[in-house]
Amino acid sequence: MMSKRKGIRIVAGLWLGFVMSSSVSAESDVAWHGFVSQGVMQASKSNFVNDSGDVSFKLTEVGLNLSYQISPTLRLASQAVYLNGGNRYPEGVRLDYLFLDWNLYSAENWQVNLNVGRFKNYHWLYSSTRDIPHTRPSIILPQSLYYDAFRDFAKGNDGAALLVQGDGTLGSWELNWSYGDTPIERALTKTLLGDAAGGRLEQIFDHQLSFYFQPRDSFSQFGVAFVNSDFEYLKSEQDAFVDGRANTRRIIVNYKYSAEFWDFSTEAIHENVNYQNMLFPGYQQELYSQGVYFQGRWFATSNLTLLARLDLFDMNKNGRGGEWLELQSNGQIPHYFGYSDTLTLGTTYRLADNWSLQAEVHRIKGTGRLSPAVLPDTEINDSEYWNMWAVQLMYWF
Amino acid sequence: MASDAQIIVNADTQIESLSQAQLRRIFTMRQRQWPNGLLIKVFVLPNQNALHQHFSKSQLNMFPYQLERLWNKLVYSGLSERPIEVYDEQQMLQVVAQTPGAIGYISVAENTSGVGVIKLAISEEGDDE
Repeated sequence: MMSKRKGIRIVAGLWLGFVMSSSVSAESDVAWHGFVSQGVMQASKSNFVNDSGDVSFKLTEVGLNLSYQISPTLRLASQAVYLNGGNRYPEGVRLDYLFLDWNLYSAENWQVNLNVGRFKNYHWLYSSTRDIPHTRPSIILPQSLYYDAFRDFAKGNDGAALLVQGDGTLGSWELNWSYGDTPIERALTKTLLGDAAGGRLEQIFDHQLSFYFQPRDSFSQFGVAFVNSDFEYLKSEQDAFVDGRANTRRIIVNYKYSAEFWDFSTEAIHENVNYQNMLFPGYQQELYSQGVYFQGRWFATSNLTLLARLDLFDMNKNGRGGEWLELQSNGQIPHYFGYSDTLTLGTTYRLADNWSLQAEVHRIKGTGRLSPAVLPDTEINDSEYWNMWAVQLMYWF
Repeated sequence: MASDAQIIVNADTQIESLSQAQLRRIFTMRQRQWPNGLLIKVFVLPNQNALHQHFSKSQLNMFPYQLERLWNKLVYSGLSERPIEVYDEQQMLQVVAQTPGAIGYISVAENTSGVGVIKLAISEEGDDE
């Protein structure tokens, strides 16, 4: 039987050939857009970007998307990206999305769309465009929720999504449902588990549901999202890990207020993670982690935006100080791997219509959101407090 | 202060009025079809244009930056196309007249007689519910 991944590749190839053919490119119903960005960053005393803590140019994000309106109710959309974020996630070219968007039902004030293929994660505030520099509030997103090591399977799925959107007397609302999985590359397995993992990590399924509501004539927006996802690890012959499973269940609530010259966003996450075996036979771990960020932006002039954000994350809500980690690891993992709290100050300057420059500094307490995620690197990350800065130039069309 | 915006559509759309909610659904690229099945083509003036800013705030009840962000989100996550930007009101009038399914806006003072566009009446929210 043909794997889903192979199927996606074949469809991508056919789509590319289809778009390249001159008969289609002459049609006005084909649209294309893209973005190019390059940055420089440094995360001293940590392996966030590189192991040395030196200045790094591994902050490249490039993408090209194409869409084709097949009929008034059917659309094909695709995007390929090249990403290099150093240690944050595996470097390389990715098929970001490729899906059929089918408008199943359309009434005067509401509609239903079905997406089939590889689609983005529409459920959190920034999840659908986390790699698109000019759509982000900052270069590095709050790691409590947008943990870079989890990026590849938090950015979308191969499967089906149902999007319902409407406007009623009380306001406008959105209901999103999705079910699918994400192929996990070897490099990502190492980002998550470390170099000692020789086996294969697979996402069994990812099931998400979200609801957004904006009251009529209000500048507030409220949202809630639920995530349930299962993973399986299959060990190789030479492997420090063993066969095992992990399950994660998340509840996310968010709020956004958009005023004319400022906005405010907050997103809170409560997560339950279960590990079975994987580290060694009989290993059982159940953790309840929590995170929240508060972000304010001031649109100082039409071209200048200033940002301040506080992001808090505790890996175990029953041991926020992280002492449980030291106990469990016989003192090998310091307590500050149990949390990650970040203060961010940033600015975005619009240089021209499609050009922006973004710059930011972060002061971080704790190393709980560095990779590898499961067995942390305690040698490089030997400092509880560390700093990071980044500058990125971005162009889009 | 910018003059009020007059919503105009191509004559082929065969409609004469919209509710404010429908107008917002169209300019936020959610409603993509006219009742007669024709694909909607949305045209807008540049972000900095005074009429665009006035239209966005008074007719859609959104700040222009919110629209811009929403369109970017739709375009780069594959959910929809963004509106097509025109230079000025003269070009707006021309493209809306020439493009089947087109919708756009001009100043109320602009003369539209005999060019093939329909001026839409926009009903207050709740009128149609």
